[in-house]
Amino acid sequence: MSLGGGKGGVGKTFLSSNLSAVLARSGKRVVAIDTDLEGANLHTWLGVAPPARSLADYVAGRETDVQGLPVETPIPGLKLITGTHGHLSMPQPDAETRARLLADLRGLNCDVVLIDCGAGAHPATVDYFLAGDDALIVLHPEPTSIENGYSFLRAAFYRRMELVMRKGDVRSLVREAMDQRNALGIRTPHDLLREVEAMDPEEGRRFREEMGGFRPRIVVNEVASAEDVKLGFQVRMVCRRFFGMDAEYTGYVNRDEAVREAVNLRRPVTDIRPQSDAAVYVRRIARKLLEAMP
Amino acid sequence: MKSLSEMTHYEVLEVGRETEGADLERAYRMARAAFAEDGLASYEACPPEEAAAMRERIELAYRVLSDPDARQGYDATLGSTPDDAVPIEFGLDPASDEDIAPPEVEPEIAGFDDLEDAEDVAFDGARLRRARLRHGFDIERIAQVTKINPTYLRLIEEEEFEDLPASVYVRGFVSAFARCVGLDAERVVPAYMDRFLAARPPAAGGRRGQAHASRQA
Repeated sequence: MSLGGGKGGVGKTFLSSNLSAVLARSGKRVVAIDTDLEGANLHTWLGVAPPARSLADYVAGRETDVQGLPVETPIPGLKLITGTHGHLSMPQPDAETRARLLADLRGLNCDVVLIDCGAGAHPATVDYFLAGDDALIVLHPEPTSIENGYSFLRAAFYRRMELVMRKGDVRSLVREAMDQRNALGIRTPHDLLREVEAMDPEEGRRFREEMGGFRPRIVVNEVASAEDVKLGFQVRMVCRRFFGMDAEYTGYVNRDEAVREAVNLRRPVTDIRPQSDAAVYVRRIARKLLEAMP
Repeated sequence: MKSLSEMTHYEVLEVGRETEGADLERAYRMARAAFAEDGLASYEACPPEEAAAMRERIELAYRVLSDPDARQGYDATLGSTPDDAVPIEFGLDPASDEDIAPPEVEPEIAGFDDLEDAEDVAFDGARLRRARLRHGFDIERIAQVTKINPTYLRLIEEEEFEDLPASVYVRGFVSAFARCVGLDAERVVPAYMDRFLAARPPAAGGRRGQAHASRQA
């Protein structure tokens, strides 16, 4: 499971820490992983001191086995791979290391791996996001977050299509389309679909299938009004129309002072203030995720 | 994924062939909000001309579908394959389309399951607000239905007990509020009033204060 959203500060790490805590408390063996090598702080949200080993050691080749990375957290059943101690001049691993990491994560001895993607739409961030069987995009009810959210979804969409297209010329077409000012006049996923279909009907069919299969979940964080709540439904409509994606609006979280209180104590709000608004909303999202799990 | 010109009016508004009346109206409002020029939901989602084209189609779709004669004529052009007319490919979540619990829930808000856990969650101001948001109601809407000053409703949600009137009024407000958002007033009111009276002991004023004083006497 992965959490992304483009913009920093929208609550990806808040949600990652609390969802992983709730899932662990519900009996799942969870490993949360912080892939933000530049500004990792999932450990702080969970009350774990920066540990001796982290994802950065794996990226730098100091640690070759991902099994050796998870450390215990104060929450039973929840382990954590932090992203701290990054090599500042090489913040993200190359594509090959990423692919190996993501494959290795599937081999971890647990029920759920929850990937907290960093901010931005770096190819590495997008790959982490796409690695999730379930991918949540976290939005704030404000234009900056919506804008970054769409550019993140767009990047994820094109990247996913690039990965599933089999023919070299189609793949390079998809890559070219990623440039919003490309010379081919491809401005939207729909334009791209048309081009792919014209180029190769079989790839076109695969493209259509894949579009339908990409179902990110939307979470709106810090809602303050009924309008904010409805935003998720509207975003879902826009995604369907312009990205051909059947996104699901999985939930929202109310703006709640208890969250600040909890982070100051370095504990999940679902643990220290289980009756708070934020905790109730997070549990509802977790329930939906649990229902979707095998 | 269809191009805009291939979409039916039903697909544009994301409604079924049977949708009409208030449901159609709501679907139209939702679609209009989603693609509004100065709206948040489609901000930077697509080239502006695409969004403009979508807005035009939404208006046209609503004009046709909300006019029985025009709609009948339009249906005739669609032929007798209603299955093709509903957006199957990227269709509505079947659970969110119809069997939507209580009638006051706006369809677009449904699809969310029950908010509260089985575990015992207090009937506090936040609980009232969650129930309200779940129905997609803003404070003003509750105020309209209950005829309660929106400021009081807000104070009840925020549990700003000091600024609320005497408990006898608050009791009535909370009861109306709870019923309006589909909560059981008989459970909510006693629990809420316990919180209210704990924070604002009866001595602080009103008839309760007098009762308290006479008990001490």
